[in-house]
Amino acid sequence: MQTVQRLPAEELFKAEIEALIAAEKDPIPTGWKMSPKSVLTYICGGKVGDTTITPKYVGNRRLVEICIATLVTDRALLLIGEPGTAKSWLSEHLTAAINGDSTKVVQGTAGTTEEHIRYSWNYAMLIAKGPCPEAMVKSPIYRAMESGSIARMEEISRCASEVQDALISILSEKRVAVPELGVEVPAQKGFSVIATANTRDKGVNDMSAALKRRFNIVVLPAPANLKTEMEIVQNRVKQLSAGLDLYAQCPSEDVVEQVVTIFRELRTGATLDKKQKVKTTSGVLSTAEAISLLTNSMALAGSFGSGEIEPADLAAALQGAVVKDEENDSVSWKEYLENVMKKRGAAWLPLYRACKELN
Amino acid sequence: MASPVYFGVRHLSPAAAHYVRKELDRVQPDIVLIEGPADLTEQMHWFCHPQTKLPAAILAYTQQTPIHTLLYPFAEYSPEYQAILWANKHKVPCRFMDLPSSVMLAIRQSKEEEQDQDQPQKEIQGRTTEEVYQQLETLLGESHDTFWERKFEQLEGNYLEAAAEFGKQLRQSATDPAFRTAENLVREAYMKRCIQQAQQEGKEKIFCVCGAYHVEGLEQNSPMTDQEEKMLPRVETNATLMPYSYYRLSARSGYGAGNQAPAYFELLWNALKEGNIQQAGYRYLSELAASQRKLGQMTSSAEVIEAARLANALAFMRNSKYPVLQDLRDAAITCMGHGNLSEISVSVAKVEIGTKIGQLPEGVSRTSIQDDFYRQLKELNLEKYRTPEVQRLDLDLREKLRVKSEKAAWMDLNRSFFLHRLRVLNIGFATPTPTRSEGAWAEAWNLRWIPETEIEMVEAALLGETVSLACSFSLKEQADKSSDIAQAAQVFEDAFLCGMPQAAEYALEALQSLSVETAAVEEISKAAQRLSKILRYGDLRRFSSQAIQPLLSQLFLRACLTMEEACNCDDEAAKRVMESIERMNRVQLDNDFLEESRWIDLLISISDRDDLNTKCSGFAMATLIERGLVREELLSTEVARRLSKGVPADLGAGWFEGLAQKNRYSLIMRLSLWEQLDDYLQQLDDEDFKRALVFLRRAFAEFSANEKSDIAENLGEIWGVNPQQMADLLMRDTTEAEQEILDGLDDFDFGDI
Repeated sequence: MQTVQRLPAEELFKAEIEALIAAEKDPIPTGWKMSPKSVLTYICGGKVGDTTITPKYVGNRRLVEICIATLVTDRALLLIGEPGTAKSWLSEHLTAAINGDSTKVVQGTAGTTEEHIRYSWNYAMLIAKGPCPEAMVKSPIYRAMESGSIARMEEISRCASEVQDALISILSEKRVAVPELGVEVPAQKGFSVIATANTRDKGVNDMSAALKRRFNIVVLPAPANLKTEMEIVQNRVKQLSAGLDLYAQCPSEDVVEQVVTIFRELRTGATLDKKQKVKTTSGVLSTAEAISLLTNSMALAGSFGSGEIEPADLAAALQGAVVKDEENDSVSWKEYLENVMKKRGAAWLPLYRACKELN
Repeated sequence: MASPVYFGVRHLSPAAAHYVRKELDRVQPDIVLIEGPADLTEQMHWFCHPQTKLPAAILAYTQQTPIHTLLYPFAEYSPEYQAILWANKHKVPCRFMDLPSSVMLAIRQSKEEEQDQDQPQKEIQGRTTEEVYQQLETLLGESHDTFWERKFEQLEGNYLEAAAEFGKQLRQSATDPAFRTAENLVREAYMKRCIQQAQQEGKEKIFCVCGAYHVEGLEQNSPMTDQEEKMLPRVETNATLMPYSYYRLSARSGYGAGNQAPAYFELLWNALKEGNIQQAGYRYLSELAASQRKLGQMTSSAEVIEAARLANALAFMRNSKYPVLQDLRDAAITCMGHGNLSEISVSVAKVEIGTKIGQLPEGVSRTSIQDDFYRQLKELNLEKYRTPEVQRLDLDLREKLRVKSEKAAWMDLNRSFFLHRLRVLNIGFATPTPTRSEGAWAEAWNLRWIPETEIEMVEAALLGETVSLACSFSLKEQADKSSDIAQAAQVFEDAFLCGMPQAAEYALEALQSLSVETAAVEEISKAAQRLSKILRYGDLRRFSSQAIQPLLSQLFLRACLTMEEACNCDDEAAKRVMESIERMNRVQLDNDFLEESRWIDLLISISDRDDLNTKCSGFAMATLIERGLVREELLSTEVARRLSKGVPADLGAGWFEGLAQKNRYSLIMRLSLWEQLDDYLQQLDDEDFKRALVFLRRAFAEFSANEKSDIAENLGEIWGVNPQQMADLLMRDTTEAEQEILDGLDDFDFGDI
């Protein structure tokens, strides 16, 4: 019985990775486990021999190509995007495919220090033996440099700027000095860093131009079209609700379509047919949020309702998701209701009425 | 006799141009035949004229309306152009060999007529050429242009064979609709006929430059016989050369019609000439960086180097030797644009498309737009105005009921459309002048013809083939460029005046999207007023105004939702807000599809609230009175509340000022109102009275002398002074003592108001 809540990608997709390595025909860069093209297949899906590779990242294939090409040129990669655009997901799978190890992670927080980037000491041993290699606690990045693999740095823009600056020397010199031991550790071939940053965090700890310059930046967009996004939402809602025992039916296709349509239109600031522009709201309205909105509605319907998502459940949840900043968002939301939703015809009428009642 | 060389090319392909020249040097033919309308061979020499600068296009068009056109754009890297230059240099005859434009246009016309008949489309087995391209794109995950660039522009080897093979494969895998297949066969048979003619003239080495698709057809089909040639349909056409621009070249889509990045292709062409394709990529990235710096963006050489490395890695992943435009652009976005195309989009447009405009020797061009202009001049009976003296033309847009033909009935309206279109195109033939009559149906113009007008017209030819096409293109461009709703509304009005419903709809969409961002009620109300006007007078110009209604409703809703907030402003802005309220009020009254209850609720709310600018509140009240929605008691309680003791004088008087903007006559008639005002003034202490006086004076400043004396009479009645005494009081000069007090008011300290 599987009791670990979450397995790393390389364990979860072990069979796929092994199949890809076994079928490898193209040259493999130093420090990599497979060729760039196989990494692409692993991420975007395909077929190798008899093994079907499931797509991990649904979206713009070209962006994945740019990510991989960046890592081939030994540049560091920075993934930027709105919350819920699969930045960490992509970074995890890239390292899983390239190194077979996605666990060298530094989580960027307000409490991250320079030691988390470089190294720290096991103080008991330090006092007992003095500075020696055994007393050293190496950071994931340090270990990646030694082994010539890729380290991950999550939410880089949440770290204080001095911590970010510590990365600069590592990325440009590709070596760490350990003055206590009088040595300098050079990075082995294949070392690189994949960092992720959130666009909504802009201004929290803005990255310096010097640091940005060391990264190739790839902006991950929201899903390209309604169909893709609906697919993602439906699959994830199904997976999540199965694990959570929600006692409610999965939302019907119509409900998913309505939620995703509303999210997309308010996010992009235009109706799906591009004919009409709408005012955007301050909320993120990411795909991830649509997923949690629907599972929440399911929990509501399952625990307190008929077991099926009703327009009223949905209306309350939508209102909560859309109207974050009372004054501006509520004007935008009201305008959206009148100008767009009201004119959508019979299928949308119950939801429109339920939303209007709340206002 | 050796068989002719068939060099299959892609039009506007630098590599093709490069290899055509090489092959020509090798073969040394004694005649060069090029795919292009045979009747235009005479125009060919202009391409070699020293004053000619590419891009230029061959334009053929029908003489009768509706005008159909054929356009063959050429850039310096067009293989056809390079072949023409080669032939000219080596004194070898050179001819176009495709169907004459008269035949081609006749075929096009019959095709359109066929489609008009609305026959059910016959089921076609297999895929059309476009579908083959699409499938190729799905398989590769890249656009067809990128595929072509990877496979052919970078080809090092036998271009001739590779392109011919591609054309063959394409021919085999695609099944086009019967009409298109037939058209291609007829064209190929005609080309073959031209080749046969050359052979009969005794030419030994014949060199043909044609689309790669036609190579197989030319190899296998037999030439057209004399009899067949006589059966070809024909229409009367004109043909000319015209200057072209890279911008237009990039705006056209479809195979052979243009390409998306002319300036980049020129880079590629130059690099090919130098024998170093890699240079094109480096130059592209450097130029991009240079342009970014010029725009004030920091772009370091390190970023350019990283972009070049990334582009190479991307090309490697796609198995091509050198990066193609797509790789270069993606790399530039990642390294120079920090992941956002928008950061470098201006430079990208500059480096990929460029601003190059072609040139032709003077007098060569006689474009279809010029022809169209003269034809319309004749049709609209305006020829007599083609003089250097200014002549006035008065128009009455209404339908003439006593004339026989439909055409005559709407003559003036059509004239107006035509003249407005010229105005939009900046052709200075007609300028609008004030009318002598008040009616909305009247319009007046000053007409004058000067030589510059002709030049302006050739310039307009770059926008479209006929006056109306150019005008609609120009309007669309303006709509895209407009950055606020006032501009977009202007474009919309222009489109309306030009009688171009499609362009109007387009401008309306631009207006809609801009209005979403605009929060200022002033702009919204102005746009709404303009739309409302067009809605009212649309019929006069036979304009279907249905599309306006939803947008007007949107603007109205937005105004309703934001107006209350806007009323929370200083006195300076209050004036503009009141104007906006007035405009929206009119708009609502004129258009009953706008929710009246919403508007009235809003007015009541503004009128009731105490925390808004009191002028606005007073004005909302006045508007409600005007609509007959305020009962006598309500007015008197409001007056009592607003003008009660303890309310600061400036607020009370401000409210009164707002109230007095409208319905003066009915206000003057209400004696009770003046009693209340009097009560209010009585209870003020001296200091407050002085304050109130200043504000009230301003409130009454806009009243006419008659109105003022009516008020004085009212007040007299309240104070028990008879009209005669009243008049005396008002007429006599102010005494010195009074003057002093009045002067004292000038020194009044307004504090921080």
